[in-house]
Amino acid sequence: MRILLVEDDSLVSDAITRGLVTSGYVVDAVADAEAVSGRLADTHYDLAIVDLGLPGEDGLSLVRRLRRSGNPLPLLIVTARDGLDDRINALDLGADDYLVKPFALPELAARCRALIRRATAAAANEIAIGGLRIDLAGRRALNTTGDVLELTRREWSILECLAHHSGKVVSKERLTQAITGWSEDISGNAIEVHVSRLRSKLGNAATVRGIRGLGYRLEDA
Amino acid sequence: MPERKRPISIHRRLLRYMLAPLLLLLVAGVAVDHSMIVSPIHSAFDRALSRAALAIVARIHRGPDGQLAMSSPEHPPPAPRPFANAEPLPPPPKSMHGEGPSPTLRGMGGDVFFYRVSLPDGRSLAGTPELPLAPPDDKAADGFSFADITFQGEVMRLASYRTVEDGEAVIVTVAETPARRDRAVHRMDVSFGLNDTVQMAAVLIIALIGIRISLRPLQRLSRQIANRPAQALTPLSTDEVPSEVRPVVESLNTLLGTVRNSVLSQQHFMANAAHQLRTPLTGLKAQLEVLGRETAGSPLEERIALLHGGVDRLAHTANQLLTLARAEPSAHRASHYTSIELPHLIGEVIESSLDRALAHGIDLGADCQHVQVTGVYWLLHELLINLIDNAIRHTPAGGHVTVRCGANDGQAFLEVDDSGTGIPAGERARVRERFYRGAGSTDDGCGLGLSIVDEVARVHGAQLSILDGSTGQGTRMRIDFPASS
Repeated sequence: MRILLVEDDSLVSDAITRGLVTSGYVVDAVADAEAVSGRLADTHYDLAIVDLGLPGEDGLSLVRRLRRSGNPLPLLIVTARDGLDDRINALDLGADDYLVKPFALPELAARCRALIRRATAAAANEIAIGGLRIDLAGRRALNTTGDVLELTRREWSILECLAHHSGKVVSKERLTQAITGWSEDISGNAIEVHVSRLRSKLGNAATVRGIRGLGYRLEDA
Repeated sequence: MPERKRPISIHRRLLRYMLAPLLLLLVAGVAVDHSMIVSPIHSAFDRALSRAALAIVARIHRGPDGQLAMSSPEHPPPAPRPFANAEPLPPPPKSMHGEGPSPTLRGMGGDVFFYRVSLPDGRSLAGTPELPLAPPDDKAADGFSFADITFQGEVMRLASYRTVEDGEAVIVTVAETPARRDRAVHRMDVSFGLNDTVQMAAVLIIALIGIRISLRPLQRLSRQIANRPAQALTPLSTDEVPSEVRPVVESLNTLLGTVRNSVLSQQHFMANAAHQLRTPLTGLKAQLEVLGRETAGSPLEERIALLHGGVDRLAHTANQLLTLARAEPSAHRASHYTSIELPHLIGEVIESSLDRALAHGIDLGADCQHVQVTGVYWLLHELLINLIDNAIRHTPAGGHVTVRCGANDGQAFLEVDDSGTGIPAGERARVRERFYRGAGSTDDGCGLGLSIVDEVARVHGAQLSILDGSTGQGTRMRIDFPASS
């Protein structure tokens, strides 16, 4: 997995490079936006980490330029600006995620992992969480040992919905909408029953955590 | 206690300054009206009195004894009626010369009426002989003269008519009490007074309406100002502002412009400061993390961990200071205020704090009712993060933290309830102070969290209360938003 890092501060750039290399990535660091096009032309990258406050052409403009040219490269923005306007701006322009400085390296590594996994999963039409592999096209889930889980239609719908928002809390209402047709009516208790059955079927591959008052989150076991 | 001064009201002042002159004018008007009607009424009644005298003269004739006498006084002459043209002739009076007590005749409407027919030598032919005569008036060519007298204890109006009847001079004198003319004057006074009062009232009402209409641009202006968000710094519109108020609006706009510029430069400064602080901190933090991994197991590891902890605290403090500085009310433009669904905000903040809570072994959950507030999203986000952060920090493993929102009498509230160690009542006021850290705090907090919460609440016109936890232990931090903000 190859990551392009666009960061002008050498202290930060060096630390991120070292940190990500330790996590098993190949990292190419450049100090300004002008150098990006050349790199992208002759190398395939799985992800770019872009600092917003670059000298010369700034990060937002780089994001805009890449997306206008149709480049689908996953983009993770890091910035010292924490204003909501900047965040919305960056995401609107086509960035995939946003991290505010100062951050911890494990957090950065986790975001990178999630973005790359999302991109490859979208290509393979497959989502992996922990030891669980969810084959969206085949509508089946495989556990750590590669066995296909026996799920009811509703359990599958719940898992699919949770997997699409993996790492995020999904509300009961959303799950209800995911498993019911137009005419069916289902209570919150019924959701709980389906979730607890799903949980036992997932075994140690992954787990569904209930968040009091909010909903459920699919997590690594 | 200092007395609160009542604000000056243009409306009230105009009214006060108009009311006194108008009342004076009313009194003067009634007085003028009175003086103008008194003399016409008096002359009308005098003319009526004259007609009564003439009617008596018509009944004087020379008797069989060659003496002048009055015919049949059985019916007295009619009481004089002013403003009556065709006066019906009373039946011929019988001679009453020397008969009975002097007749006191009842006139109309309670007036007492006397008459006397006398000769120039003072002999009375008929009527009340005691009735005095009005002194002759040389200016009057018609032989009438008038006088005001007091007769038998009553004020009376007297008219004497000197004429020649059958070649002999006679004086016919009539007198009446002035009750009817006084009543007439009184009636006229009342009706003029009423008329004047109604006119004044009408003037006053018209003036009030006029004042209200001319003050309307001012009210529009104050509405325009009132309806703006408190933080709006855009200039006020000078359209439709009356020329008298324009200088005020223009000064206000100049002031707003100055404030706007200083806010913008402050925001610019904060953005630069944030960047200049955060970037090297990120570098330091990341470098130390890498170094920590590389030196794992060596004697340096512990010292690097200490350094890392120090940089983390520094980063946290820098972040909190930046947040606090940016939470200053002057830093927010109206466009930053949006309608915020509290459950949505809570979901987002809990999601970002969930891993931290789970790492501390704390059950973090929510209990939300649908409710909206108007506010600055990222500020409320910071507020809630700080409240949850505090709660997690002060709650031992196995405890719970619950975020609630809802509405009480149309007032939205937001609550973070924990089962932690709680804050002693004596310390509750102090924990909002900047950099204050409770006696038992041993963690990496910088003492700015609740200052940020307090400041953000203040910016939103909301109130932070520190209460006991709902389970009887721990703390419940409650934010009450203003009604329908």
